[in-house]
Amino acid sequence: MIKALNLTKKYGKLTAVDKISFEVKKSEIFSFLGPNGAGKTTTIRMLATLIGPSSGKILIEGKSPIKNSDYIRSIIGILTETPGMYEKLSAYGNLKYFAGFYNLKQDRIKKNIEKFLKMFDLWDRRDELVATFSKGMKQKLALARALIHEPKILFLDEPTSGLDPESAHMVREFILSLKKEDTTVFLCTHNLSEASSLSDRVCIINKEIIRLASLKELQNYKKTRNVEIVLKGNSNKYIGDLKEIDNIFDISAKGNKISLSLSDPKNTNPKIIRKLVNNGAEIIYFNEIKESLEDIYLELIKSEKSDEKRA
Amino acid sequence: MKNALKIFKKEIKEVIRNKSIWAPILIISVMFSIFLPLALMFAGDISEDVEAMEFISKMFGSSVDAQEAMINFMVKQFIIFLLLIPAMIPSLIAPASIILEKESKTLEPLLATPIKTKELMLGKTMTSIIPAFLISILNFIILTINIDIISYLKFGILPLPNLEWVISAFILSPVISFIITTISLVFSSKTTDIRSAQGIGSAIIIPIYAVIGLQIAGFFLLNIYYLLLGCAILIAICPLLLKLTIKTFDRENILTKWKMK
Ligand SMILES: Nc1ncnc2c1ncn2[C@@H]1O[C@H](COP(=O)(O)OP(=O)(O)OP(=O)(O)O)[C@@H](O)[C@H]1O
Ligand SMILES: [Mg+2]
Repeated sequence: MIKALNLTKKYGKLTAVDKISFEVKKSEIFSFLGPNGAGKTTTIRMLATLIGPSSGKILIEGKSPIKNSDYIRSIIGILTETPGMYEKLSAYGNLKYFAGFYNLKQDRIKKNIEKFLKMFDLWDRRDELVATFSKGMKQKLALARALIHEPKILFLDEPTSGLDPESAHMVREFILSLKKEDTTVFLCTHNLSEASSLSDRVCIINKEIIRLASLKELQNYKKTRNVEIVLKGNSNKYIGDLKEIDNIFDISAKGNKISLSLSDPKNTNPKIIRKLVNNGAEIIYFNEIKESLEDIYLELIKSEKSDEKRA
Repeated sequence: MKNALKIFKKEIKEVIRNKSIWAPILIISVMFSIFLPLALMFAGDISEDVEAMEFISKMFGSSVDAQEAMINFMVKQFIIFLLLIPAMIPSLIAPASIILEKESKTLEPLLATPIKTKELMLGKTMTSIIPAFLISILNFIILTINIDIISYLKFGILPLPNLEWVISAFILSPVISFIITTISLVFSSKTTDIRSAQGIGSAIIIPIYAVIGLQIAGFFLLNIYYLLLGCAILIAICPLLLKLTIKTFDRENILTKWKMK
């Protein structure tokens, strides 16, 4: 659906996006993560045909934006980073104005305005001026605007920023529901738990791609696993025994809990359990702690920074 | 071009609601097309005024009817004054249209729709030029009626409309509106301050005052040839300004080069 090949954007001497290549499949939810200034918004703007790349290639539905920009703009919706509305128009008036620039029938415009205003809980206030709206209401209205022509591809630049937990939850549920309608979603976010709960794949970038993978692949990329074992009674006395096993490091005990890191879990895990049981320990549970996207993200960004320093 | 019309329709409503735009227009209109011609009422018989007679014969030669020449001279003055209106209206509207759009942060969502940047530019240009043209013509007509009534009652002549009037109202005035509109649009892209953007328009109006000043001082007299020459020069720079405006309204240019904060 979206294809980027060696996409590069330079602003004068500054390289904002450096030779990134990726592909987003139809009805996939694809997330862009990266620190401030990583080039996320710049990439969205290039993909949404708002700015041209300095070099590299983009294909949307197999079409090049150079020749088909009108068509591409008609099938994409974008929630921009700082979405604005005409403050002196009503919510309804704003949506009607923007919808007017798409080639839509009047009754479809009407139907969609009603559908999305109702969905985002703004229908009762449709005739009020946007100037009287709260930040979150404006954000929801902007989301409705991005959806008004039922785009095949939706670009969302930090869609839940400024929303209260309930609205944010509603927006996330909505993003997930778009999948059923075959909408492709390209998401930029700083909310890592949001990215991990929504995305099929995440792409961590900092000018260039640092890693592109599914959440599962990211969690498995490291060779070591963190394990937590809870025993009945004090756990301290088993530490010495466990240290004898190969492939175990960073072992510590606190109360009835043992924490350790290990590699080669297929062989190491059974050894640990056998040893503990043989030595009389009663195991309440044995748990592999999955790293959160946040941990992985922070680690990747940190190692990227130290690479940069070395270079 | 349907989209340009949509923009025009929305923005013209905003102009009508914006008192800080139409109030100055109303004041200037009343001043120039109603109060100014009243001055004719007080133009007395000049045949005994030696100084005035000298001035007239210097400017028009001694063979003409001095009284009629004097009236015609004043009318020329009024026409030039009136040219301030097609200049002033775009200098108020065009910057407001751009800078309010910047303040509401609606440019990016707008440019994400299939709208063409030329349609956006045309929409904004129409919002500025159409009211400028209509209000200017209205003022030219009111001025004409006033002058003709007063002159006819006092001196038995109908000085307007004349050829200079036609050229001023239908050629010079829209050309001036277009020039001020484009310059204001381009300048507004580079500033976030509505007053300074509106100021650029007033800066361009200064040459018009210069013409009035020179004429009153007797350096030259507006005639059809000067008028046509002026039109020709102004029309010649229009394509250049149009090109500059189109360049300013490039999508990427708007999003990355316009001053937003
Ligand atoms: N119009 C512009 N002119 C010059 N440099 C720009 C422009 N827009 C963005 N940049 C630069 O490009 C880089 C990437 O910016 P971008 O907005 O894409 O980052 P981002 O990943 O969206 O950051 P954030 O998380 O803060 O939104 C930054 O260094 C920024 O300063
Ligand atoms: Mg950004």
